[in-house]
Amino acid sequence: MGRSRVHLWFIGPAVILMAGLLIFPVFVAAFLSFTDYNLGNPSFNWIGVENYDRLVSRSTYKKMFTASLTYVLLVVPISVALGLGAALLISSLRIGGELYKAVFFLPVMATLLAMAIVWEFALHPIVGVVNDILRSGCDVGLLHALLSGSWLGSDPLQSWYGHACAEDFPLWLGDKRYALGTIAFIGIWQGFGFNMVLYLAGLTSVPRELYQAAHMDGADSAWERFRLVTWPMLGPTNVFVVTISSIRSFQVFDTVEALTRGGPAKSTYVMVYAMFEKGVKQNLLGIGSAITIVFLGFVLILTLIQVYFVNRRVHYA
Amino acid sequence: MMVRTNWLGEFLKHSVLLAGAIVVLLPFYLMLSYSLKSPAEIESNTGGFVGSQEIMTDRRCIKAGKPAEECDMRPIVYNYTAAFSEAPLVRYMLNGVFVTVSIFIIQVLVALPCAYALSKLKFWGRDVVFGLVIFCLLIPVHAIALPLYIMLAKVGLTNTYAALIIPWTISVFGIFLMRQFFMTVPDDLIDAARMDGMSEFAIVWRVMLPTAIPALLAFGIFSVVAHWNDYYWPRVVITGNRDLMTPPLGLRMFKSDLDGNEYGPMMAATTVIVLPLVIIFLLAQRRFIEGITMTGMK
Repeated sequence: MGRSRVHLWFIGPAVILMAGLLIFPVFVAAFLSFTDYNLGNPSFNWIGVENYDRLVSRSTYKKMFTASLTYVLLVVPISVALGLGAALLISSLRIGGELYKAVFFLPVMATLLAMAIVWEFALHPIVGVVNDILRSGCDVGLLHALLSGSWLGSDPLQSWYGHACAEDFPLWLGDKRYALGTIAFIGIWQGFGFNMVLYLAGLTSVPRELYQAAHMDGADSAWERFRLVTWPMLGPTNVFVVTISSIRSFQVFDTVEALTRGGPAKSTYVMVYAMFEKGVKQNLLGIGSAITIVFLGFVLILTLIQVYFVNRRVHYA
Repeated sequence: MMVRTNWLGEFLKHSVLLAGAIVVLLPFYLMLSYSLKSPAEIESNTGGFVGSQEIMTDRRCIKAGKPAEECDMRPIVYNYTAAFSEAPLVRYMLNGVFVTVSIFIIQVLVALPCAYALSKLKFWGRDVVFGLVIFCLLIPVHAIALPLYIMLAKVGLTNTYAALIIPWTISVFGIFLMRQFFMTVPDDLIDAARMDGMSEFAIVWRVMLPTAIPALLAFGIFSVVAHWNDYYWPRVVITGNRDLMTPPLGLRMFKSDLDGNEYGPMMAATTVIVLPLVIIFLLAQRRFIEGITMTGMK
């Protein structure tokens, strides 16, 4: 039978490429993480766990873990909440839903690096429109009173807005207190539309009859319907959206490299950027590989959490 | 169910969504607007969306020793000509097209036969190969970038088109997607083709490929969007050789070359790079959203 061997031709290229380009590199990284290898050197030394030791002891890497975790903890909850909120609003609209959907999805499609550069201009402390808009609110008495809290009788200088009006508005990307938050804002801006679309898909799978049943049981308010029907039925979607967002935000690189290069004062020194800086720019492949392995560990844990929850989920349909 | 429309509620929902839409669209608006206006208008935030389009003088043109009348132009003309003359934008775009198209074609050439074998042929070790595919799905791209870079550097391939393409030739996700799709294709179709005397190769390319068009289209959108927009990998393997740069990387170089206040040309270049995908997206919205979410797990 001529057919008996033909499968080798079909799976061969894929298997060879998987082994060579996906699995072998993981072993290479694991191996090099115990060495002081760099490109251009013919040989290398075994240095045991020294690289990993540095990761846990040096303050640079503490800042790296802090930056990555803070970024994830900022972006994931907010972009998931905004995605869910947008999906709920859009699905309950009579008209115009498709339009909002397209608009909110636009940043997912657009080249992130390019849009990051536009945001950088918008956030420029002096000529940028963001501070321009914020500043213009200072001169409008009512707006100033509202935003600074002075309409409640408190001292306007005590509030963030009142204080910024008196001094000046932040440098955003140039200020270590704001830089990571600003990068996270761009991440949220870019990613929440993706979550929205996943939630919209999840919402269409909620059986209509359940809402009718809830209605008969006296759940009339929108909140009751959400709490009793929508939210429980979105369980699997929630797990998927949260883990996907976490994995995606762990991989943040473009905005950091183009706008802050990890600074100021290492406040935006996230893991993938550190990997790039140490491994590629400074040719310190040992420590770069160690960061790679830790990063891989984080992502695998997130994926396993997802698999665990997805397998455990209750099937309603 | 109740049919009474709650007009107040409807109005509030639109207000919230509209406010969100304004924030989402702000950078796109700025990008277009800045690409049209003169430097002075950009710095002072005046001139509305298109600016006054007053004739301005191109300083670089004067410096190059050209006659003054040739150097007077409208800001929109200045911005876009500067974008194309200061940076090899056309080259970047062609590189982008070449790299994304090559990646997609090779991915299909590798994934389609494999997916066919995994779904329709019975052979020893099939489950092992499928297990391998699932396992590889877990490996994040960013985690193997550094070792891949080292491997490519060792064989002297950094700063080549090959470096931009080779790591993406295998898409385990593509194999998975196609395999799931082929599982739904009836065996009768393949048996009939075999009865007609078609070889297995002919079955893959002349029977399976045409049936897989919808899945391929979704995968194609995902693949092209991902690689057109990718900045990380080109940044790692292309160092300095401008002839090989893809649009995002070229834009990044353009940005670091400028002395800071050339916002107009910079935004014109950004517009040129962002617009193609945005236009295609607006034309085929539904397919894009489906394609990208269906492949969301990557």
